[in-house]
Amino acid sequence: MMALLEVNNLKMYYSVRRGDVKAVDGVSFEIEKGESMGLAGESGCGKSSMATTLLRLLPNNGRIVDGSIKFNGQEILTMPEEQFRKEYRWQKMSIIFQGAMNALNPVLRIGDQIAEAIITHENASKAEAKKRAGDLLEMVGINSARYRNYPHEFSGGMKQRAVIAMALACNPDLIIADEPTTALDVMVQAQVLEAIQDLRKKMGLSMMLISHDLSVIAQTCDKVAIMYAGRIVEYGPAKMVYNAPMHPYAYGLLSSFPDIKAPKSPVQSIPGSPPNLLEPPSGCRFSPRCPLADAKCRTVEPELEHLGGNGHLVACHKAGQLGKVGERA
Amino acid sequence: MKKRGFWVNATKFCREFISKPQGRLGLIILGLFIFVAVAAPILTPYDPIDDLYLAEGMAKPAWAKVLPGNSKLPVTVHTRLGFNEWQVASGEDLHNAEEIKENAFAIKTTPGEFSKLVHDVNYKTDPPGNFHFETRYSIDASEETTTVLAFVIVDPNGKEWRLWEKKIFGSLKPQDLLIDSRQLDLKTRLGLTIFDEASKVIFAKKGQYKVLLRAYSEGEPAIITMEPVAVNIQGKLHGVLGADHMGGDLWSQLIYGARISLIIGIVAALIAVFIGTAIGIASGYIGGFVDEFFMRLADVMLSIPTMPVLIILSSLIGKNIWNVVILIALFSWTSTARIVRSQTLTLKERAFVEAARASGASKTYTMLVHILPNVIPLVFAALVLLIPGAILYEATLSFLGLGDPTTPTWGRMLHNARSFGAFTMRAWWWILPPGLAITLLSLSFVFIGNTLDEILNPRNKERA
Amino acid sequence: MNFSSYILRRVVYALIVLVVIVTINFFIFRVMPGDPVRMIIDPKWTPEMKAALYEQYGLTKPLHEQFFIYLKSLLTLDLGLSFTSSRPVMDELLERLPNTVLLLGIALFIEILIGISIGIFAASKRGSSIESFVTGAGLFTHAVPTFFLQLVLLLIFGFVIPIFPIRGTMAAPPPVGGWAQFLDRVHHLILPVFSLVVINFGSWALYTRNAMVEALGQDYIITARAKGLTKKRVLRHHAFRSILPPIVTLIFLSLPSIISGAVVTETIFSWYGVGRYLLDATMKQDYPAAQGAFYFIALATIICNFVADIVYGLVDPRIRVGGGEGK
Repeated sequence: MMALLEVNNLKMYYSVRRGDVKAVDGVSFEIEKGESMGLAGESGCGKSSMATTLLRLLPNNGRIVDGSIKFNGQEILTMPEEQFRKEYRWQKMSIIFQGAMNALNPVLRIGDQIAEAIITHENASKAEAKKRAGDLLEMVGINSARYRNYPHEFSGGMKQRAVIAMALACNPDLIIADEPTTALDVMVQAQVLEAIQDLRKKMGLSMMLISHDLSVIAQTCDKVAIMYAGRIVEYGPAKMVYNAPMHPYAYGLLSSFPDIKAPKSPVQSIPGSPPNLLEPPSGCRFSPRCPLADAKCRTVEPELEHLGGNGHLVACHKAGQLGKVGERA
Repeated sequence: MKKRGFWVNATKFCREFISKPQGRLGLIILGLFIFVAVAAPILTPYDPIDDLYLAEGMAKPAWAKVLPGNSKLPVTVHTRLGFNEWQVASGEDLHNAEEIKENAFAIKTTPGEFSKLVHDVNYKTDPPGNFHFETRYSIDASEETTTVLAFVIVDPNGKEWRLWEKKIFGSLKPQDLLIDSRQLDLKTRLGLTIFDEASKVIFAKKGQYKVLLRAYSEGEPAIITMEPVAVNIQGKLHGVLGADHMGGDLWSQLIYGARISLIIGIVAALIAVFIGTAIGIASGYIGGFVDEFFMRLADVMLSIPTMPVLIILSSLIGKNIWNVVILIALFSWTSTARIVRSQTLTLKERAFVEAARASGASKTYTMLVHILPNVIPLVFAALVLLIPGAILYEATLSFLGLGDPTTPTWGRMLHNARSFGAFTMRAWWWILPPGLAITLLSLSFVFIGNTLDEILNPRNKERA
Repeated sequence: MNFSSYILRRVVYALIVLVVIVTINFFIFRVMPGDPVRMIIDPKWTPEMKAALYEQYGLTKPLHEQFFIYLKSLLTLDLGLSFTSSRPVMDELLERLPNTVLLLGIALFIEILIGISIGIFAASKRGSSIESFVTGAGLFTHAVPTFFLQLVLLLIFGFVIPIFPIRGTMAAPPPVGGWAQFLDRVHHLILPVFSLVVINFGSWALYTRNAMVEALGQDYIITARAKGLTKKRVLRHHAFRSILPPIVTLIFLSLPSIISGAVVTETIFSWYGVGRYLLDATMKQDYPAAQGAFYFIALATIICNFVADIVYGLVDPRIRVGGGEGK
C-alpha cells in the first residue's frame, strides 16, 4: 500500500552569513492514511523546519537542497507553486502552528478566518462557507454565535480550538500540529489533545504531531520519530520506541521525562547541548554528548537501520549494546 | 566604577561604530563640517556680515567666467598695492620705507618737477561697479614747501582722470585718503553729473590703464610716505560663490554658517536632552502624581503645533539666536523624556537599584548615582538624533525671516536669496549651497544617531 | 474598558489640551515684555476706536476677568479685528481656509497613496532595490528641509524652465469660464503639491514597509499562507489589514505637523492660506490676527488628534469591541 506522505532524504538548509544552517539534513519517514506520527526532539533540532518544509512555507533564506516529498505518490517539491497552493495547502495538508495563540489575525473575525480557507479552495458561496465555519466551531465546542468575535475576545483554549476548527475546514488528509499545546495550561492542554484525538478518529485523519513533550506524543501517536541535529535518530512504532529505545539520545530523552505509569526513577537529563547546525560534528552528530561513543562514532555517520524489527529503525553504531540497558519496566 | 572596564568598552564601542558604513559616512561628513567651522577664518578672508560692497550686488562667482556670455564681466579686485607694485617713473625713490614707517613706502620730490609712482593695469573687461581706494599718507617737508598730491587714472587714450588732488603746506601728519567712485566731489571734479557712474565712464575702454600717484612740490624737497593702497573694485564676478545683494561674500557666509548651525543644533539638543532626561528619570522613578503630570505635559506639548508657536514666540521675544535655541529646546524634550522614563522603569526593578533603596539611599542619590549612568548611553543616541531636528527648525525660522539678522546662518542666506532676487537672477550658486549644507549636516547626524541607536539601544540588542 | 468610556476619556483629554492652548495663547500676548495695550491695539488708531476695543476686550479690567472675557469671545468665535485690514480675523481666516485645506488635502492624499503602495510593494519584495529606494526616501524626508526642496523646485520649474506659476493661488485676474478656472487652479497647485509629495511620501513608504515586514513575520501570516491563500490576499487582507489601525492613526497624527508645515509651503508659493496668514500677521505685528490664526491652527490640531484617537478605536477591534487591554 502506498503511504499518504512519503518523505525521502529531505534536506533543507538556511543560508546565513557564515554558511548554511543544516536544519533538516537527510530525513526520511512515512505516514500512512489514518496514522499519527510524533516528531520529537529538543528545540532547535529542526522539527519545526520540517513542518514549514512540508507546506513549502520556507522563509526567504531557506531552501530545499535535496530529497523528495510524495503525497499520495505525487511529488510535491517540484510542483508549480500555484498548483501546490490551490490543491495541497489546507486542502490536503493543514497545519496547527506552534503558539497557535498568535495564529489568528487579531483584526479579522474568527469565523471569517475559517470561512476564507473554504472559499479559497472550494466553490462555496460566502453564505455556505460561513455556515460551514459555524458548524466547525460547534464541532470543537464553540458556540457558532461567536463567529463574529475577534481573537482577543476568546480565551487561550478557545483560540486553540478555533485554530483546530480552522485546520479542519477543508477536510484535509493530513494535519500537521506543531507544538499545539505548548502555551496552554495543563488542564486545557488535556482538553485540546482530547479534542484533536476525537476529531482525528471521527474523520480518519492522518496527523504529524511535532512536540518536544514526549508525553504528548505518547498519548496521541501511533508512531514516533526522534530527531537530533537535523536527522532522525530513531523511528518506529510508539510502543516499541517508548518501551525499548535503542538510540542513546532517545534513551536519554525518554528518561528525562517522567513516566507516569512507571515506578519512580530519578529524572535524568542529557549533559551537553545540541550541536551548532552550521558545522555539525563529523560522524554521529550525537557522539560529542554520547557516553558510549568511540572512534568509529566520531568518524562514520551511522545510517538509519532496521534493527528492532517491526519497523523499528535506529541510527547508531552502538544500538545493540543499548538494547538491554534501555529496557524499561 | 571600574575605570579599566570603561576603556575596554569604549574601544569596543568605537570599533563597532566604525564597522558600520552608515556611522563611518556620518562621521566623515560631520568631520568635514567641523573642520570648515573651525578653519573658517583660514578658508575665507572676509567677514560674512560686516564686509559689504566687496563686489557688485548679485555678482556671479568668479568661475562663471567660463560660462557663455560672462567672459567680458569684470572680476572683483580686492588687493593692496605695496611698494613692489609701484614703479617710480620720476622723482627720488626712497625705498627705505621701513625706516620711515613699517610697511610703507616713500618718495622724495625734486622741487619744480613732477614725481610719479605708476601702476600699470591691463583692463580687458566691461566696466566694473564702484571702485574704492584707501590708504594713509603723510608728508614731511619744511614750512615753506607747498606740495600738490594727486591720484590719477590714465585711460588707454591717454586721458587723465584726476580722482583726488590736494594742496598741502608744509608737513602733514598721517591721515586717511579715501577715494570712492560714489563720492559727489569726485564726480564734480571729473565733470560728471551726479547720475553718472564714475567707474562706468573711466573704465569704458579696454586696454592699458595707468594708476598714478603724482606729487609736485615747490620750495624744498618733500618726503611723501604712503601705506599700501587698498584697492577694491567691485566686479560682477566675485569669489567662490559670488556676492549677495549687498555685495557681501556668499562663500564666507556659507563657511561661517557651519559654525552657527553646529552650535545651534548641538546646544539646542543638549538643553532638550537635559530637560528630557531630568523629567524622564523623575517621572519613571518617583512615579505617581509626578509621572502623571509630566507625561500629560508631554502629551500637551506634542499637541501644540510647533512651527506656528515657534514663529509667534520668536517674533515676540526678539530675534536673538539664543532665544531661538532655547525655544527649539523647549519644544524638543518630549521624546527623550519618554525614552528615559521607560528605561528608568525597567532599571527601577533591577537588583542593584532595589539594593540601594533597601540600604537607605535617598531618592535623589539613587536617581543620580544608579539610574542616571545607566540611561546615559540611550540619552546619547537621543541627543544626536535631536540635532538634525533643531538644525532644521532654526534654518526654517531664519528662512522665514525670524532669525537673528546679525548671525550668518544658512537659513538667513536662503531668506536673502528669496527676498533679494536670487531667483529671478537664477543665481543657483546662492540657493543650492546653503540648502545642501543643511541637508548634508542633518544627514550626518541622522547617520550617526541611527548607528548609535543600533549599538546602544537595549531593544535592538535583544533582537540581534 | 468599553468604547464609549474610551471616547469620553479622549474628549476630556482634548478639552484639557484646548484649555492649555487657549491659556498659553492668552498669556503669550499679555505677559510678554511690553504693554499689552500696545500689543493688542494699534497705536495708529483714533481714541474712539481704541476706546471701543478697550471695551470689547475689557482691557481695563484685572487679568483674570480679561481671561474670562477672552474665553467668551473665543467661544463665540470672535477673534477680534485685524490691525492691517480692520476686518474680523475670523472672516479673513475662513476666507483662506478652503485654500489651505485644498492644498494640504490633495498633497496628503497623493503622498499617502503613493507612500503606502510603495511600502507594501517593498515589503513584498525583500532585499530588492525597491527596499533601498524606500530607505533612501525615508532618509530624504528626515534630512532635507522642506523649504529647500520647494525653493529648488521653484527655481527649476518657475524660473529656469518657467512652466509653472511662481506664486499665488490662481491667476490674477482669474481666467473666464469654469473649465479654464479649474485648469488654472490645478496649474497653481501642481508645484506645491508635488513638493509636499516628494518630501513626505518616503516616510509613509518607510513606515508602511517596516510595519508590513513586521506583520509578515507574524504567526497568523504564516497560517494565512498555509491556508493556501493567494499571495495578494495574504498581503492585502491579512498583513495590510493588521497594520491599518496604526497607519490610520498615524495619518491623523501627522495632520498637525502638516498644518504646521503649511506656514512654510504657503509662504514659499505665496499661497493664499491660513499658514501664510499667520506668518504675515506675525511679521507685521498684527497681534489679533496672529493670535487668531494660532488659535485656529491649534484648534485644528486638537481636533485632528482627537479624531485620530477615535478612528484608531474604530479601526482596531481590540479597542472598538472591548475586552482587550485597550490603551
